[in-house]
Amino acid sequence: MPATSSPDGPPGTGDPLAGLHDALLAWLPTQRWFPAKGRRIAGLRTVAHSVVSTPEESPTVEHAVIGVSFSDAAGGSAEERYQLVLGAQAGPPAEVEHAVIGRRPGPDGRDEVVYDGLADGRISRLVLSLIVENQTRGPLRFVAEPDTEAPIVGPGRPLIGEQSNSSVIYGERAIMKLFRRATAGLNPDLELHRALRRQGSHEVAPLLGAVEGELDGEPMTVAMLQGYASNSADGWSMALASVRDLLAEADLRADEVGGDFAGEAHRIGKTVAAVHLELAAALGTHPLDARAASEIEAWMLDRLDRAAEAVPGVAEQRDAIADVLRGVTAAEPSTLQRIHGDLHLGQELRTPTGWLVIDFEGEPSKSLADRVRPDSPMRDVAAMLRSFDYAAFHQLAEWEQSADDPDPQLERRAQEWADRNRAAFCDGYTEVTGTDPRDAPELLRAYELDKAVYEVLYETRNRPSWVSIPLRSMRRLLTPAGRGER
Amino acid sequence: MNEGVSAGIAAAPIDEDHVRDVTEDHGASAVEEPSADDFRHARTLPVEDDWYKRAVFYEVLVRAFADSNRDGFGDLNGLTDKLDYLAWLGVDCIWLPPFYDSPLRDGGYDIRDYRKVLPEFGTVADFVEFLDQAHARGIRVITDLVMNHTSDQHHWFQESRRDPEGPYGDFYVWSDDDTRYSEARIIFVDTESSNWTYDPLRGQFYWHRFFSHQPDLNFDNPAVCEAMLDALRFWLDLGIDGFRLDAVPYLYEREGTNGENLPETHAFLKRCRKVVDDEYPGRVLLAEANQWPADVVEYFGDPAVGGDECHMAFHFPLMPRIFMAVRRESRFPISEILAQTPEIPSNAQWGIFLRNHDELTLEMVTDDERDYMYAEYAKDPRMKANIGIRRRLAPLLDNDRNQLELFTAMLLSLPGSPVLYYGDEIGMGDNIWLGDRDGVRSPMQWTPDRNAGFSTCDPGRLNLPIIMDPVYGYQAVNVEAQSNSTASLLHWNRRMIDIRKQHPAFGLGNFHELGGSNPSVLAYVREHVDADGFRDLVLCVNNMSRFPQPVELDLIAWKGCVPTELTGGVPFPAIGELPYLLTLPGHGFYWFAIHEAEER
Repeated sequence: MPATSSPDGPPGTGDPLAGLHDALLAWLPTQRWFPAKGRRIAGLRTVAHSVVSTPEESPTVEHAVIGVSFSDAAGGSAEERYQLVLGAQAGPPAEVEHAVIGRRPGPDGRDEVVYDGLADGRISRLVLSLIVENQTRGPLRFVAEPDTEAPIVGPGRPLIGEQSNSSVIYGERAIMKLFRRATAGLNPDLELHRALRRQGSHEVAPLLGAVEGELDGEPMTVAMLQGYASNSADGWSMALASVRDLLAEADLRADEVGGDFAGEAHRIGKTVAAVHLELAAALGTHPLDARAASEIEAWMLDRLDRAAEAVPGVAEQRDAIADVLRGVTAAEPSTLQRIHGDLHLGQELRTPTGWLVIDFEGEPSKSLADRVRPDSPMRDVAAMLRSFDYAAFHQLAEWEQSADDPDPQLERRAQEWADRNRAAFCDGYTEVTGTDPRDAPELLRAYELDKAVYEVLYETRNRPSWVSIPLRSMRRLLTPAGRGER
Repeated sequence: MNEGVSAGIAAAPIDEDHVRDVTEDHGASAVEEPSADDFRHARTLPVEDDWYKRAVFYEVLVRAFADSNRDGFGDLNGLTDKLDYLAWLGVDCIWLPPFYDSPLRDGGYDIRDYRKVLPEFGTVADFVEFLDQAHARGIRVITDLVMNHTSDQHHWFQESRRDPEGPYGDFYVWSDDDTRYSEARIIFVDTESSNWTYDPLRGQFYWHRFFSHQPDLNFDNPAVCEAMLDALRFWLDLGIDGFRLDAVPYLYEREGTNGENLPETHAFLKRCRKVVDDEYPGRVLLAEANQWPADVVEYFGDPAVGGDECHMAFHFPLMPRIFMAVRRESRFPISEILAQTPEIPSNAQWGIFLRNHDELTLEMVTDDERDYMYAEYAKDPRMKANIGIRRRLAPLLDNDRNQLELFTAMLLSLPGSPVLYYGDEIGMGDNIWLGDRDGVRSPMQWTPDRNAGFSTCDPGRLNLPIIMDPVYGYQAVNVEAQSNSTASLLHWNRRMIDIRKQHPAFGLGNFHELGGSNPSVLAYVREHVDADGFRDLVLCVNNMSRFPQPVELDLIAWKGCVPTELTGGVPFPAIGELPYLLTLPGHGFYWFAIHEAEER
């Protein structure tokens, strides 16, 4: 049996990562998945720790959840928790030199080197084999999805360039995602992938397995293993290629240029619609009645007020925006169901056989309880429409940093691209569900504006040069002309 | 013209006129065909099992290449005179569309006599001389053979009409009514309203999958099968290196089917292959089956024996998708079709092309609902107009040198044997005013002299006018001028063909697409390990976009290896742990050989 330890560690040693705290404090802000880069860290503690490897296995593999608290105002009192997979051995191979976190005294008294375990092919191989063999190591349960073809066990290769999580790719066949942010409760990414696999979905990469643990006495999703969509590209980069093609043309219309994206937008619409139908079939629907609608409205208004506090541009329009958001309660009755929750072009993968939807974690700023709450599929539709706007105006926003006056001609062309692809997306969506989202304009507009308000807040805080994109959309959604999508 | 008698080089000239005498003589019925032994045979090349996998093919229209006798038509002797040029360019195999005797109502695909050369082109003996001279330069020659149908002027058909009880009475598909095989689609919907046409002489309907002047042969009649195999043998005996079998899916017809890809058709092709393997090893059969790749692979035959039908087949859907990918600035149109292309038997090879003599109708490529491409094209008026193919490569690409190079680099490096179309190596233009398919069949432009050096005849006698516009005209675009400039497209093409030949991976290697972070970049690896264990590995990276693009490639499998650029031999940085970053100019491409690290 592997050695395990309580969060406090074996008697006499205290926090099992105690000797590493300084090293971790230096290392964390250099990690892409660590979101609080600019903030002052007040403290770090080990929330959970276990040794995954057996004494016979080398290197030593440890799983840890660490809690980071902050001393600046934005942090409040809440502690943020992150998962680590650590490798430790006397001298790590040269390949993981770049992943070294620090040193600590080893069991034999000599120093050992501790490093980010996902960088080591031996460790990713161990994790995969534990999943395939359905093993339990201490508090961690490695489970293969039933009735799936087990991937060939071998070393993994870290995926580079990821944002909020860390993934390892196994031979272009499987991908394992370690959820960096530790949250008690079943991760909706795993939950929805399981549900979609039961539906035989072709719109998501098949779920192959998972690693599950515990946090605060509740189950916690540690990692997820899926089929890997090799030779894929994300919809965002494809859409940008199309926009660039249009903006570089002097006189051609969006439907005339070679880089026209409408065919892909139409297929994305069909793909999202199919996912919605599958989620409804797997996890059920509820009526979007007056009570549910007023809950959603309250939630939206709350978010609006938070944005208005931070962004004067939103505060000035607060009442007009609220009027539109109240469209949620004015709309015809419809249904609620589990949805993706954080859909955008970057969450769509184009493979040689079609489109896949990825990353069902939901909007990162929301609590888990909010992320798993049934919502109108219109939220996903509106999010996609917003994403087409973003793609169209992103290039302009980049250019406008150096130009005082936006070129009205380019603006018109970008709008034309957005309109064309938004319409194609809705057409594709309608083709599969039989319901045209544009037939519920109040609801759609409310969700779209809610998203735009959130984007204005987000961009103001994180990417001020992009804030013009959602502000422009916000203005458009507030004018009567913005009411009709078609 | 009586070329049978004038076949002076032939060891034993024969009187081919007796054929016509027989058909006109109402008393006789069986027709005696000329034999290959009536002619000299060309020297043959050594048998090489894989030659067609490594070869660069070059399609040339006899009528359009060179005129040796000042009659305004290109001819076989003119073609022979130009073999040195083709050898210099690096061509391994010449593909000649049909040069048989024909009334030319379908570009020669309406064959009037399988054993006779169209008089304007020369004689069988001229062909043997051409073949012999090609072989002397190591160049192989294949030609089209239409097995499905003949011209209505073929003596078999005339006999069949006249004498239902005679030896040819059952050579064609006759019926008392026009209702049989109603599930077979009509291919030329623009000109034909039915696959049946009434013949007043015989008083019956005859079956035709194509034009009504092209009656389908009846392969259910064993005598037809034998006659066709003998036609194959005639040319194979003379030394030809293979056939492109035209319109093969339609040989048989069966009630309740669409009459395409029937098992009987495959069985007959296996017979053809057996004749080749047993009697003429090293020769090839190339199927023209304008179908989806998953259906076309059936024409390679049984994979368990490495393939026992055709050695090669054209990959039709790839071509329009290359155009579409560059237009969309996305690799996916190509990635998709390659992902849908099944494995082929070990002895089989695709033939791939950018342009050829034919009008490629998109309906033929994608009549199936499996594909969305037709809808995409239909939405795009420019694509529709352009891909409705009556254009050559250079005008299709707005004469953009970068795109011409990118397209050719893909043609030479994607899986399959590349088929070049005459004139495209110098960027020739077309004449869309000529109509039908003649726009891309104008005379080869050799020099800035009269008639572009194609012919010394009176310019008014030319069978098709020379291109004379200011951009593509023969004074600007010709072989002579481009031969004298090493920066020319012609020299560039020659260098690329040469590089291709130095790397067996291009012809023999497997294909693995790399994906990569940038959807506008198509990157793939070709890899071949020969019998001695020598590994040839080529990495090809193509930018579909007109804008410069970066791409990060996962080359971790070759960590420590050094990519060497193939046109200049410059070593690039060694492959490390991180994704390999390359930047490409707009419509740029790279070919790299990936060498093991210890070679440095």
